Amino acid sequence: MSSEQLLLSARGAGRRFGQTIALEPVDLAISPGEGLALVGPNGAGKSTLLALLAGALEPSMGGIERRKGIRVGWAPQRPAQYGRLSARENLELFARLEGEPEPEEAAARLLRAFDLPGKASPSANLSVGNRQRLNLAIAFLGRPDVLLLDEPTAALDPEQRRRLWERTTALRDAGGAFAFATQNLDEIRHYADRVAALRDGRLVFDGSADDYDRSQADTLFA
Amino acid sequence: MNRIWLLLRKDALVLRRSPLLLGILLAYPLAIAVLVGLVASYASSKPRVALVDEDNLPPTVVIGGHRFHVDKTIDQVSKNVQLVRLSPAEAAHQLKNGKVVAVVTVPPGFIATLKEMVRSPQLEIQLSRGTISSRVDQQVQALIYSLNRQLQQAYIGTNLSYVTLILHGGSGTFLGRPISVLGLERSQRVLARMPQTARVRKLEDFIHDARLALANTGDALKATANPIEPVYASTRGRTWVLSANVQAYALALTITFLTLMLAAGSLAAERDENVIGRLARGLVGLGHLVWAKVALAAALALVLGMAIAVAFGVIIQVGGVTGGEPWRRLPLLVLGLLLAGGSLGALGALLGALAREARSASLVALLVVLPIVFLGLIPSEIVPPAGWASSALPFTHAFQFFRSALFDLSPWGQVVRQAVWLLVLGGIFGTLARLGARRLLA
Repeated sequence: MSSEQLLLSARGAGRRFGQTIALEPVDLAISPGEGLALVGPNGAGKSTLLALLAGALEPSMGGIERRKGIRVGWAPQRPAQYGRLSARENLELFARLEGEPEPEEAAARLLRAFDLPGKASPSANLSVGNRQRLNLAIAFLGRPDVLLLDEPTAALDPEQRRRLWERTTALRDAGGAFAFATQNLDEIRHYADRVAALRDGRLVFDGSADDYDRSQADTLFA
Repeated sequence: MNRIWLLLRKDALVLRRSPLLLGILLAYPLAIAVLVGLVASYASSKPRVALVDEDNLPPTVVIGGHRFHVDKTIDQVSKNVQLVRLSPAEAAHQLKNGKVVAVVTVPPGFIATLKEMVRSPQLEIQLSRGTISSRVDQQVQALIYSLNRQLQQAYIGTNLSYVTLILHGGSGTFLGRPISVLGLERSQRVLARMPQTARVRKLEDFIHDARLALANTGDALKATANPIEPVYASTRGRTWVLSANVQAYALALTITFLTLMLAAGSLAAERDENVIGRLARGLVGLGHLVWAKVALAAALALVLGMAIAVAFGVIIQVGGVTGGEPWRRLPLLVLGLLLAGGSLGALGALLGALAREARSASLVALLVVLPIVFLGLIPSEIVPPAGWASSALPFTHAFQFFRSALFDLSPWGQVVRQAVWLLVLGGIFGTLARLGARRLLA
């Protein structure tokens, strides 16, 4: 696939925090219609790579390329929202920042879609699961072409997981793409077309989900 | 601009949802302002001065026919100092350890010399060392001035009695010895009975001139003792509580506390809430984020500053206190509050970026704000380095802006100068905060 067709790609992108290298230079691309799973043990660099791809972090080396005009949604592992604002107020604020033409309407739509409480209580008072739902809902604002989700289902109940995967696979089927960090092998098997495996900040595997068999996973997580 | 406005509105909403935090942020600086006022008034209270009596001062002394009760006289003259009687050794010890700031020693023979009224007796004075020694020196000099004022009347009275003796003749004492004086008046009568030769007439002319001159001696002596006599006119000015300095100081101190802590805490809170990455990925630039905090600080400084200024204005209006322009200068004060709030907010944002966590940022801001405020209190003419350091921080310029804006008859020169300072400092701190904000992403 030519580079013009790629939605998002890391070109030798790496990240250092002080003297610590969190991610060695990585080449990784996300193509339209693709579901990419990022796997690896804790501290392997998955979250750093997703944050670099999302633009939330600047690479210390290399760069990130985006196809012109595409929109990227990002849900970090730890919910990123204002605890003193309600779920609706968070969604409306980020909808405005994302340039949604009808922010109130977009917020109401996502409140319904993620089954979030519409009342005015601060989001800090929500349950862990609801906070994660709000975190994911914010990622869907601005009608993104690519979704970057960092362990998105960790705090979700089975029904919410199912609904999340419905939405992400619908985006992929519509020509978009998603990448998600996970520790869950079932999710890899069901929703990933491609797997990128990281270990100690290095990309150690990048191939189809079919090639990524259980023995590979066992080696990786050992 | 729209993004800054959105963040500003969000921060305002967050503040409204934190009434306890807002209450503390408002009450704390006001409490500090009151405490600083109390400390300032305590600092101007009477210093303790030791009185070492080596002459065994009697309870009463008669000087020039005036009876002085020594203790009462000391009470009367020690308006600015607290005089405590100590032994020479104890006084020296307390001067060394700072319990007294000066020692005034009455040497042996003091009263005897005083009674002679020919030579000035001497008081020995030892001062503590340090920055307040000049103030103590002034107060000890004021003490001696007061003593001299009391004795002056006795001296003038005694000198006038000699003049009266010279004019009219009679008996008196000099240096404790009885004397008998013919006097000019009686001399004139004696001369009148003598043959009127040219020499006698010359003497009569001299005595005539001398009597005229000595008749004005009383006023001349008083004028010599007090070449300039102050006359205190009663006015209805401001008390120290409502003084220009206190109002400007309360404004500057309150907004310094509030804006520094708020800007530092709210910028670092973006990282604590894990939102900084979401914002930084193209939604809001780090520069916009910093300027949103600067705008928040400026807006809060405006609201709080105007509330304080209006409260002062109402008190001044209701109390009928004159001086200053509490209402006409409010528009100028608006400009000052915005500039000062923005400049201090930029410094706060820098602290927030460096501290990275809201709790640490608030603590750092609190630790930084106290030296900033106290540096601004030290007169630069006494400790020049404090003045230089203070010039590099917005507090002093905010204080001078407010004082000039509210009370100077022609404030423009000062206001423009301080506005430029605030703008430049705000720009520098804002730029540094923008550079430092990258740390929030780490």
